[in-house]
Amino acid sequence: MFACIHGADAARLADSFSPFVEMVDEKTAVFTVTSHQIRQAESLPLPAAVAATAEAAILAARNLPGYTFIPPGQEARVLGALTIDTLPPDPELFETFELWGIRSLEDLARLPENDLAARLGERGLFLQRLARGALERPLRPLIPAARYEESAELDHPIKLREPLLFLIARFLHDLTARLKSQSLAAASLHLTLNGNQRRHSLPFPTRDVKLLLKLVEHSLERQPPEEPVAKVHLELIPTEPRRIQHGLFTPAAPEPEKLELTLGKIRGLVGEKNVGYPELFDTHRPGFARQTKERSSLAFRYFRPPLEARITSERLWTRMFQGKILQIAGPWRSSGDWWQGCVGENAQWNRDEYDLALSDGALYRIYLDRAPDKWFVEGVYD
Amino acid sequence: MAAVFPIGWHRYQPVVDILFAAGRDFPRGRISEIAGSRSSGRTGVLHALLAASTGQGECAALVDTKDSFDACSAAAVGVELSKLVWIRCGGNAEHALRAADLLIQAGGFGVVALDLAEVPPAALNRIPATAWFRFRRAVESTPTILTVIADQPLAKSCSAMTVKLPPRRVVFAGQAPFLLLRDAG
Repeated sequence: MFACIHGADAARLADSFSPFVEMVDEKTAVFTVTSHQIRQAESLPLPAAVAATAEAAILAARNLPGYTFIPPGQEARVLGALTIDTLPPDPELFETFELWGIRSLEDLARLPENDLAARLGERGLFLQRLARGALERPLRPLIPAARYEESAELDHPIKLREPLLFLIARFLHDLTARLKSQSLAAASLHLTLNGNQRRHSLPFPTRDVKLLLKLVEHSLERQPPEEPVAKVHLELIPTEPRRIQHGLFTPAAPEPEKLELTLGKIRGLVGEKNVGYPELFDTHRPGFARQTKERSSLAFRYFRPPLEARITSERLWTRMFQGKILQIAGPWRSSGDWWQGCVGENAQWNRDEYDLALSDGALYRIYLDRAPDKWFVEGVYD
Repeated sequence: MAAVFPIGWHRYQPVVDILFAAGRDFPRGRISEIAGSRSSGRTGVLHALLAASTGQGECAALVDTKDSFDACSAAAVGVELSKLVWIRCGGNAEHALRAADLLIQAGGFGVVALDLAEVPPAALNRIPATAWFRFRRAVESTPTILTVIADQPLAKSCSAMTVKLPPRRVVFAGQAPFLLLRDAG
């Protein structure tokens, strides 16, 4: 049997009956009840109803005063006195019902099913089943998302990395076991030490304790805690596990676990921002553009940062090289992002580019930055 | 003994075709070197090799010592950027060698490219010869092509193939300001 409570305090009262409660709206809670609980429901201070179907209980609780018990099979009789506007609003059908002289649920319930379906279709049948209290559906309880977290407050703060990793390993074993029991895997790992949180987004969902522990170890190597650790909090964010179908002819690729650990080590070596995948942006900014000017199919190498240069009509000097100018092509003028200001990574640009063949045999791309009016060598065609 | 394959540049032959042809011949499980001065075409050969590898669905890695990689020109010759791991070492050759070592140990890459071009000779001289022997040993049991790009050959006898690119005479064609670059032998 289903029970429904309608009122401001419905959620709290429903929780005292069952952990699985469907909140239809802010004031209406539906849940299943046993025969013993039906008697308890009689003493509820809010309008309530018990019926064989969830929708019948909802209609009765919302529209009938006090407590209503609808015996199985009697739904149409009990609900029949309710007016038609107690059903979910459907202006088009309600207008038709008005024209047909249908005022109550009893009137609607009496109509022959086949004829109603022929004239009003699926929506008409749906409303009729609601009016008869015969629409059956499973309960859709709101189950709060489980949090996979462990924490500890230590009497003696940990100074060394090894004991800290030992504690984190224990957390990881427990949390991954819980994830496994729910057929889930971790999408990211949030480790909080003394209130400082570090987040690790995993490139693929995993429950591999060794891998997770290694990632934490690399993180602690790169960025050790500033003071002895007294509070540890670890949370794994759950997601669906990875499912891969291998093929005979699939080219070999690095194992994701191994690759992530390797990249973790390399990040520790060269810095977080220096490891990744190149990506082109939809912009005209030099060096980022998806489609460059049709000037040459030659490969290009950048000097990062660009080399400041001094140039005359015959020679070019930089701190790395100098030479006589043999040939020069250009300028190609470009500018953009003027609204971004002059400072920062996305600052505006305004420049004249030239291709320059020097006497050292190389072909360079130089440009005149028109804001400070300075020459730079951007790179070399190679 | 390293084999030397000089690549000539032909006036009207599409450059990329030549580069792809060169890319197909790099031996797997060996060290290959691409050596040449600025504008000799060493980066073009590297891009062609990466394009051939990623085009087959393999993953490739580029250890970019001087942070000089241009994703635009690489993508233009067919490098699938999503299959390329790019590691920038900020000019530190020691970090570059260590990163390349880690990538080879991880396995599974079609190409691991170690770009040491434009690195000052003083930094290159500090690389011990044993590093190249270690690389040769690490890569020999794998299907990975370890490619070293530099101004001069570095791996010496550890390298199975050296592509030496001679300096080119660059030729402009067309009318200013729409000059186009054309290669000449």
